[in-house]
Amino acid sequence: MTRRRLDFAGTWLVAGAASLCLAALLGLFALLVACGFAPFWPAPVEELRLRDGSVLLGEVVGGDAEALVLRAGETDRIGAGYRRVPLDAVAARSRPADAVLFVLADGRRLFARAAGAEPAVPAAADGAPPREVLAVNALGPFERLGVFARRIGRFLATPPLASNLDGGVLPALIGTVVLVLLMSVIVTPFGVATAVYLHERTGPGVRAVRTAINTLAGVPAIVYGVLGLGLFVHGIGAGVDRLFHAERLPLPTFGGGGLLWAALTLALLTLPVVVVSVEEGLARIPASLRAGSLALGATREETTWRLLLPAARPAVLTGLVLAVARAAGAVAPLMLVGVVKLAPALPVDAAYPYLHPSRQFMHLGFTIYDAALASHDTIRGVPRAYACALLLVGIVVVLNLSAILLRNRLRERYRALET
Amino acid sequence: MPSVSPNRPSVATPAAPAAAPAAAIALQARGLSLWYGARRALDGIDLDVPARRITALIGPSGCGKSSLLRCLNRLNDELPGCRVEGQVRIGGLDAYAKDTPVHDLRRRVGMVFQRPNPFPLSIHDNVAYGLRLLGLRRRRELDERIEAALKAAALWDEVAARLDDSAFSLSLGQQQRLVIARALAVEPEVLMLDEPASALDPVSTLRFEELLHELAARYTLLLVTHNMQQAARVSDFTAFLHDGRLIEFGDTDALFTNPRERQTEDFITGRYG
Repeated sequence: MTRRRLDFAGTWLVAGAASLCLAALLGLFALLVACGFAPFWPAPVEELRLRDGSVLLGEVVGGDAEALVLRAGETDRIGAGYRRVPLDAVAARSRPADAVLFVLADGRRLFARAAGAEPAVPAAADGAPPREVLAVNALGPFERLGVFARRIGRFLATPPLASNLDGGVLPALIGTVVLVLLMSVIVTPFGVATAVYLHERTGPGVRAVRTAINTLAGVPAIVYGVLGLGLFVHGIGAGVDRLFHAERLPLPTFGGGGLLWAALTLALLTLPVVVVSVEEGLARIPASLRAGSLALGATREETTWRLLLPAARPAVLTGLVLAVARAAGAVAPLMLVGVVKLAPALPVDAAYPYLHPSRQFMHLGFTIYDAALASHDTIRGVPRAYACALLLVGIVVVLNLSAILLRNRLRERYRALET
Repeated sequence: MPSVSPNRPSVATPAAPAAAPAAAIALQARGLSLWYGARRALDGIDLDVPARRITALIGPSGCGKSSLLRCLNRLNDELPGCRVEGQVRIGGLDAYAKDTPVHDLRRRVGMVFQRPNPFPLSIHDNVAYGLRLLGLRRRRELDERIEAALKAAALWDEVAARLDDSAFSLSLGQQQRLVIARALAVEPEVLMLDEPASALDPVSTLRFEELLHELAARYTLLLVTHNMQQAARVSDFTAFLHDGRLIEFGDTDALFTNPRERQTEDFITGRYG
């Protein structure tokens, strides 16, 4: 009886833990999707008539039990139009159909009522025409959807504005993808070579390397940032500058943070993941294959290159998937070795040599931190952080999916080995 | 120590210890002993394997049959803590001499394992593997030699139309013949087979034994088997190993009908093993 009860409890414990994991994952995605897409949806323009006779026009962006927070026109500068309106001061609240939203080229929002007459179209400080002129309240659902899609497109395809309060995240998007790809290119050969060494050799050297790899796996990410700063930026980078870019000193070329150093730092960070995965893959290859190759007259090196490594390709890809996931999430070390809030130029462009490894760059992870914590307009910043987080997760999912698809295609070929 | 001429077919070894078959000697072991750590797996083996014949190695499990094969192509070198004493000559090559390149030795002594171990490549690339190791690159030459090897292994007719399919798409019996083709492609002098039919069903086994007979016309075969009927059916000569020692070696018919040693008789009549 007791044993059956224990079984029963065990079953529920396992089921409960599993559903908790699933629920947490689904909840995370739901939150990211809901909050990440919210800033792009056209919010209604409301008119508040106050008891003192004045009239306010704007978007209600928050509030509590006692007051509303209204974003009225930002005539001076972005983030300067918020007003807290006590609820008992409001006499009437309406959404007039002729209310018009202007989003200026510099990101400021202004509101007006057409009231039959053509409203004066305000211009940004530099005279650029507004980016959006919308009679929001009069829009049908499909027009709203159109605005929504257009805003998402602009978010993905334009650089940021107003100190990362508005505009898009294209440079950060490019920076993130280029960084992760460069990191993958660097970490793969080193990881594979280390795994081959660990798998093929025995002795004190192997034990030392294995201990080192295991220790590396447990080192906090920020420590890698310090290492990258000291070793790559101030050590190697400064040396390279003295040797090859002496004419520009004291301006640093490689002696400052840059894409290459960030990629190397991340490669160090993700090396243990790749090594462990590839070594497991090599260990799964049956010993009979190795013996068969050696018996044909192959040397150990030839066996490794021609037989074992090709057969371990799925494991290499698994390692890369894990490495990309870890690298995309690491922001702390990058802040020390080359990620900046606003970079003057992209790390890739159409000018030779196309990839500029010495340039500072922007990164989605840092943009999240910046928007959520370092911005003076949290009403804009926090939803923006969610949007960036959703995009970052999307990038990781896309990169992982492509690696997993590739791996599954390879696995088909090697399936018979697993039996 | 009797010397062996490098011209393999011409000179027979004069005084073979157990029972010297009257044929050219392809492979010769003298005083071959093997230790795994402190455990002695082979004890002073003297064996002359006649050329272009099938020689079977029989004996109870753990008697050292497979270890002996792995000594002959030095596959035991890969195991840590393994030590070999004695001499092995393949044709004119001293296998354990310091200046003998082990990969060259292994090319001259092909090996087929207990379970078929095709590489995770196409049928074509499996056979091409050893040829490419030899530096063969020209497509036409490769294709010709692959075809010849597959024909020699009696597999060509079944796979000619699908050389680019994965080797794992073949049946076990076909895989074992593919592995033989892979070994034959590099033209070894001796082909060693370690219980090659143990993973096959009876019909495949029968086909496989026919193939062995065909191969014996061109190659020296050394066959480890745990199946005495198979040894009696297939082989020309049989060696009986027990506990790391070569107990008896001679003509298969003579050994099975009229064994000289008591242990041999006990084994082949099924009293142990």
